[in-house]
Amino acid sequence: MSGSPFVAVRPLFVAAPRVRIPLLPGDRIVAIAGASVVAGDLLAERVRDPRLVESDGDGSPATARPGAWIAAEPGRHGTSPAGELLFEHGGRRRIATGPHPDLVAAPAAGRVVAIHPGVELVLQLEGTGIPGAELLGDPGHGRLTLLPGDGDGRIPLEVAHAGAIVVLPGRADAETLTRARAMGIAGAVVPALAERDRRDVVASEARQRAGLHRLAPFPVLILDGYVRRSLAGPMREILSLLAGSEVGLVADPPMLVTAMAARNLPHPDPNRVRVRGGPETGREGRFAGLAGPRRLAGGIVAETARVELDDGWEAVVPVGDLERFS
Amino acid sequence: MTDAAAPAREAGVAPKRPAHARPDVFITIDRGTATSAAAVVARVERRWRLLAAAAVPALAEPASAALPGLLLDRVRAADPALAGDLGLDATGQMPALIEAVGSPPAQVVVLAASEAVRRRLEADASAAGWRSIGTSAERLDPLEITRLATRPNVAALIVGTGDPPSADERELVGELVALASGVAERRPGMPIILVGATAALASAFPLGAEVIAVPRPHGEAEADLRALLAARRAGHADARHALVAATATLADVLDLRIELLEVGMSGALRARAEPGEEPGAPARIAAMEAPSAVFGLVDDDAALDRVEAWASVAMDRARLRDRLAELRLAPWADMAGDGALLRGAALRVAVERLIASTPELDGPAPDLVVLAGGAWSSIPPPAALLVLADAVRRPGIVQVALDSARLLAPLGTIEDGAERARVIGELVPDALVPLGTLVIARGVRPGRQAGQLRLAGGEAPMDLPLAGGRLALVDLPPGQAAAVEIGFRAPIDLGVRGKRFALRATGGLAGLVVDMRDVPLRLPERADARRDVLGSWEAALWPDRDR
Repeated sequence: MSGSPFVAVRPLFVAAPRVRIPLLPGDRIVAIAGASVVAGDLLAERVRDPRLVESDGDGSPATARPGAWIAAEPGRHGTSPAGELLFEHGGRRRIATGPHPDLVAAPAAGRVVAIHPGVELVLQLEGTGIPGAELLGDPGHGRLTLLPGDGDGRIPLEVAHAGAIVVLPGRADAETLTRARAMGIAGAVVPALAERDRRDVVASEARQRAGLHRLAPFPVLILDGYVRRSLAGPMREILSLLAGSEVGLVADPPMLVTAMAARNLPHPDPNRVRVRGGPETGREGRFAGLAGPRRLAGGIVAETARVELDDGWEAVVPVGDLERFS
Repeated sequence: MTDAAAPAREAGVAPKRPAHARPDVFITIDRGTATSAAAVVARVERRWRLLAAAAVPALAEPASAALPGLLLDRVRAADPALAGDLGLDATGQMPALIEAVGSPPAQVVVLAASEAVRRRLEADASAAGWRSIGTSAERLDPLEITRLATRPNVAALIVGTGDPPSADERELVGELVALASGVAERRPGMPIILVGATAALASAFPLGAEVIAVPRPHGEAEADLRALLAARRAGHADARHALVAATATLADVLDLRIELLEVGMSGALRARAEPGEEPGAPARIAAMEAPSAVFGLVDDDAALDRVEAWASVAMDRARLRDRLAELRLAPWADMAGDGALLRGAALRVAVERLIASTPELDGPAPDLVVLAGGAWSSIPPPAALLVLADAVRRPGIVQVALDSARLLAPLGTIEDGAERARVIGELVPDALVPLGTLVIARGVRPGRQAGQLRLAGGEAPMDLPLAGGRLALVDLPPGQAAAVEIGFRAPIDLGVRGKRFALRATGGLAGLVVDMRDVPLRLPERADARRDVLGSWEAALWPDRDR
């Protein structure tokens, strides 16, 4: 019996992914349900620092539905600003409003399949999604550039990368990402990012948004997790193939989206595994069968497997420490 | 969720046996959110026996089909004659499956008229296994509420007032319902639960919205808010509901007061059961879930502080946070070495949270504590007893056992109470791995000779001095029992206060453990000193922690 069914699977491809772009009450929606979009098309204008204002209701049930856009209108106490109706109670409307300096653009080509004001836009994208673990920031798009090196802290960022989505194959930290943003880079893909760096990136984003100027999105797609590890071999192959092409980064679900069909992307050997925990972390090889329950360091007894590592050695690794790509 | 154990309410529905299946062998699967555990159970010499068990990552999708095959192969290889007797000699012949499924965590938003009502509703939601975010009219931010309640992971909205509502609450009801109605408009299909005075305002919601009125949340059994929420959270053959049923059955068949502590990646469960007062009467069971006691959850700095306080491995705070986050991402990975120690620290925090969030179940020590769920199986069994002793500082004498093959949840799904009792009763020696007897004493001064323990089980009595602030261990293997006398120089609290105690200790993988440490436990402030103390305790019950 092949032991590979017991190894946790990481899907590499999602065909025609359906993605969700979250909206806030007060966001002004520009997209039309059912319409086709291409990367960069305006979908909505993002409200910044939304506030709630009250205005007199007109009693018309047609416009009193929560989520409806209420135009600015003069009232007894001055003109009430335009905004999204949150709810109406006692003849008074509560409207979410505020300035709209930021734009929400389509991250890739596709179709708008649903619009829920104040909640979400749902897009059916064309092509293939390559899932990650988390996306920091808003969705974005750009030309994919795979940077060399495995990260000694001196990642070779250049202004020539402005507008591109860069893949940082090795060590990435908040400082590098902030520098990338300042250089006009459109986004980043990293294998892992520590919790502290994630917080710093999010805080930096919040500080930028505190300004009045319009802010371009800077999405950071984290492929794996929190502890530093190198880019997985199958993932590196795919990203290498996509280098130079236009890709999008989306948050829900977190993934990189390419127009290329999954069949044209490199598929890994189903028995290829990567070690994601323990002393062999980051190494890859071929699953060679189960090795039965064994006592591990620390006294735990767990199912183990034999792995023929790429350097020719055979290692016995807990099944839980392995992952395979499909 | 306090009730007499009635089979119709207790469990999910067990899958029907296929007609061709042999009636004397079946396979259990506990499909958890982190790992799936399977076991082969068969009738051997006229009683049910556990033949094989294993657990694999839950993300290995075909595992639920492949794992039974792997176990059957192992049975065939280990004892071909027995496999032949059981009709398992032919590859591909699959016995009946009994499966329990861990429901994924569900999120509810609570919108209350006052802070007191919010706390009460959140407690009800938590006891029923829901994670909740709550706010009240006293600090109402309609924009924030709308944003929270329309997030895709929110599965229900509870809007409530007191029962009966106060004058202030009555004034706020209209606005709360209008806000909730706005949420319902944006999230069609999301159930809205109206509690108290809001229950009369169901007509204010859009047509088609699922509105559930609960005028009196704790008044009538059929409209009990906790029961309603618990039923809505649980899916088919829900593992936690099944564990409640299995705990009640265990109390019946063992005639013991039992406390079950289950910790997993999607939440935790605490259940207490005691046998019926009269012969034939059903066991009395009380159970509460604690979604905040999720294994490895570090939702704020205070939670990280707690894990750091229990960590016996030196690790800087940022690294610790990252390791715990990785644990949440891939709970089946990195189990060896310091990964196991980290799990021990995270498990202590989860158990502390479980106990703190279920005060309704506090009481005197039970006769038997059963540890269930995947988190307990991620550390060595004797270490599990130490984690229990560290996290539950309750004076008393208890036996401790581990559901290491994760049989209880699948067995709890057996609908027929009599059949469930028969199967569990016969499987107890295999299903529950005895860890030993734990004695926790309160009121002992640290560092002083406090008393003497005399064990009269073997060929010659054994005397052991008991010192305050320490753990005293007696090697008492599984299957053995011994009469123990403990004498103290001054009155000590062992659940009851006294100077001389006589008890019957049962053996286990950890033996007899007399815990003379502080109640509550006090740990050194300095990190290195604290790690030394924790390490010395772990060295006693977790000797291979560094190997």
